[in-house]
Amino acid sequence: MAENENRDLKNRDLKDDLFELICFMLSSARGLMDEPKAYGPFRIIDSVSRLISILEKHQLADDFLVREKKKIEEGKYSVMDGEDKFREFLDGLMVDFAEELKKR
Amino acid sequence: MSSIFDVIKKRRSIRRFQRRAIEDEKIRQLLEAAIWAPSAGNHQPWVFIAVRDPKSIEKIKVVSPGIFDIPAAIIVVCRDMRIAEKAGNPELSIFDIAMASQNMLLMAYELGLGSCPVKSFNQKAIQVLLDLPEHIVPELLITLGYPAEEPSPRERRDGVIFFEKYGHKQG
Repeated sequence: MAENENRDLKNRDLKDDLFELICFMLSSARGLMDEPKAYGPFRIIDSVSRLISILEKHQLADDFLVREKKKIEEGKYSVMDGEDKFREFLDGLMVDFAEELKKR
Repeated sequence: MSSIFDVIKKRRSIRRFQRRAIEDEKIRQLLEAAIWAPSAGNHQPWVFIAVRDPKSIEKIKVVSPGIFDIPAAIIVVCRDMRIAEKAGNPELSIFDIAMASQNMLLMAYELGLGSCPVKSFNQKAIQVLLDLPEHIVPELLITLGYPAEEPSPRERRDGVIFFEKYGHKQG
């Protein structure tokens, strides 16, 4: 397969993946109108994880993002253990991202 | 065969599934369990759609933020609003489909399957994806698959059981 064709195929995949993420986020937005308050931050953090997965699939994610995605997947269900635990989990992620932001 | 009480107590909401197909016979048994649920006035205002095609499952997942993994099958539990309205009190039909859904969740456990009732999905999108007519309204998704996790039992809330009168805890 020519290099250009290869790139087209990959881009088409990326477009599909992003389109699906958009559908997910739109469904979340509509759903959140009627869902408990804690679902809001959960849906956003779930979207972040899905976005990093797409970047990872297309070799666009760096080590930091891959590491953080793992952390998100391990900790996102703390939403079920109460607001305090989930807040602590989100704070931890924010500290990681702020430190990374400072370095970049 | 387990006792019904065992099944009730051991069932968990399973959100992680093995990549393994479910036998058609098991899906049919689940659906059979569903249609034997009680129904107000015996109106049976329900419709069940078993989705097994991986591509369709993937599309349902995209518009269902409450699904976290890729289930082997999804039962879409719908209300037939024509029947529900004809029965006089459409709200009652929610109880009917809830009881039918519980039958499926318990049957799934008995058959060695994991299941999870999911309400976080976009109704309109599911109607479009499954070619549902306007009066067939999807109310609940039941995700199914062989379990890839064993969640611990979650605590039960105290102070919800009384005898004879509210506040009397001794039977």
